[in-house]
Amino acid sequence: MTTTTLERQPAANSASSSSAQPAAAAPARPAAKAATLLLGLDLGTNKSCVLAGPAGTNDITVSKVVPSVVGYVKDGIVDGIITNNARILYGEEALTQMLHVDLVAPLAEGVISHPDSARDFMQHIRLLADPSGKADIRAVVGVPANAGEQARENIRRSAQGIFSRILLIPEPFLAALGFRDDSRVKQPGYVDPVVNSLFIDIGGGTSDLCLVQGYFPTRDDQISIAFAGDAIDELLFDELNRTYPNNGLSRITVREIKERNAYVGPSRKPMDIKVVIGGKSRSLELGDAIGNACNALIDKIYPALTTLISAASSDSVVTLLQNIIITGGGSQIKGIDTVLQKRLADDGYENPKVRLAGQDFQRYVAIGALKAARAARENQWQVLLG
Amino acid sequence: MAAALHRFDPPWIKVGKLYRRIFFLRSEGETDHARELEETELAEATAQARRHAGSEFEAESILQQLIADEKERVADAVAFAEILVPMLADRLGGLAARPAAPAVVAPRRPKVSPPVEPRGIADFIDDMLTQERRAST
Repeated sequence: MTTTTLERQPAANSASSSSAQPAAAAPARPAAKAATLLLGLDLGTNKSCVLAGPAGTNDITVSKVVPSVVGYVKDGIVDGIITNNARILYGEEALTQMLHVDLVAPLAEGVISHPDSARDFMQHIRLLADPSGKADIRAVVGVPANAGEQARENIRRSAQGIFSRILLIPEPFLAALGFRDDSRVKQPGYVDPVVNSLFIDIGGGTSDLCLVQGYFPTRDDQISIAFAGDAIDELLFDELNRTYPNNGLSRITVREIKERNAYVGPSRKPMDIKVVIGGKSRSLELGDAIGNACNALIDKIYPALTTLISAASSDSVVTLLQNIIITGGGSQIKGIDTVLQKRLADDGYENPKVRLAGQDFQRYVAIGALKAARAARENQWQVLLG
Repeated sequence: MAAALHRFDPPWIKVGKLYRRIFFLRSEGETDHARELEETELAEATAQARRHAGSEFEAESILQQLIADEKERVADAVAFAEILVPMLADRLGGLAARPAAPAVVAPRRPKVSPPVEPRGIADFIDDMLTQERRAST
């Protein structure tokens, strides 16, 4: 049983209408009609990004990256320890208070694994976007490329009563939309990523690869691999425990070490990392451990990359090879673009060019989601039954 | 079964015809005109047709089927015209207003007509929803 239905609404409520005005300024509307706020949401395993802006404008009123974590305050915490004696904390605040809360990550491998926490987290996202709590919110939410119906239904259920309408769109396609520079699309020489590109979106739970060639990618054009940042963390964590038993380093600390030092390619030994173990400062040699864990990602991604390249038509493949773009947190792994490019070249691919999406790597999916929200027609939204 | 029969009721036929016009206008790049039609006549016709449906579910089923049918019908018609017009013009002696299209058109991976203008994001979303509907049936 599904929780959603499609519905056509009167033109006056059209978010995509060029004549749309902020609700407060539209005299024909009933006074009680809530303003419509459009939201682009990248619901990530480790970090989520939300962008929001009023319908009928190009304004962005909220742009935030939030760790995807919910902290439930433990029983017996003394009054005043937690600000406003809150019972639930979110994101950075939950991490800061990790001693006093039970931390729950609502997502695993890119999909909702704890529905109740996911619902709490979405409520928090809603409050970030609309502190008044009065707006009618329509959200475009990114999903992993191969998300099944159950994973999609879990998102819809978690969003019920929080957002009024929703649209679920695969993340790598949203990344391409977000990466596209709309102001340059008609300029000569600009290579529109939506026309012919291959996106590699490496997140916490999944690595998603997608051919984007001027039409909406089919299932054959997308590959999602359940190996990404978290899997690298796990390999590194195991290796650290093997090499330095009883080190006491938490998974969060191991992730921070990875985020600062991740690299692929030949070993970068020596790589001495300073950590505090049992209150004492120590220096650990982690060059090989980090390199081996990160290179495992290359071994997972590369076959998927060549599979998608082989699916491209012979007319488009040469240009496609010039337009391979890496985004998501994994794009911050040092050398990932050059290693993939060299491997393609060594395997005989014609003049491949792999590049990084750039500094907005955490936001492209959400930017694309907000663009999609602004362009969606009325009959494309799925109404969430309250 | 009820949905399959009701789609031939006059209110739904009207909705189907309007969708056909809208898809044709979009294929011609007249997106503003298409949107205007969508937000006025189509919204009204759809509301009227919904009232004739036995349930919201039935109305939704009919509507989605009409959208898919009319989209495909327009795409087929446009593709057919692109092949037929130059062919007829050639045979009838120089009446062609534009250069002849190749006699054999290689099928594109997605079955959509070549867009006159760059495709908009909403068109991509349409493709996505069509794929999802196909996958669920």
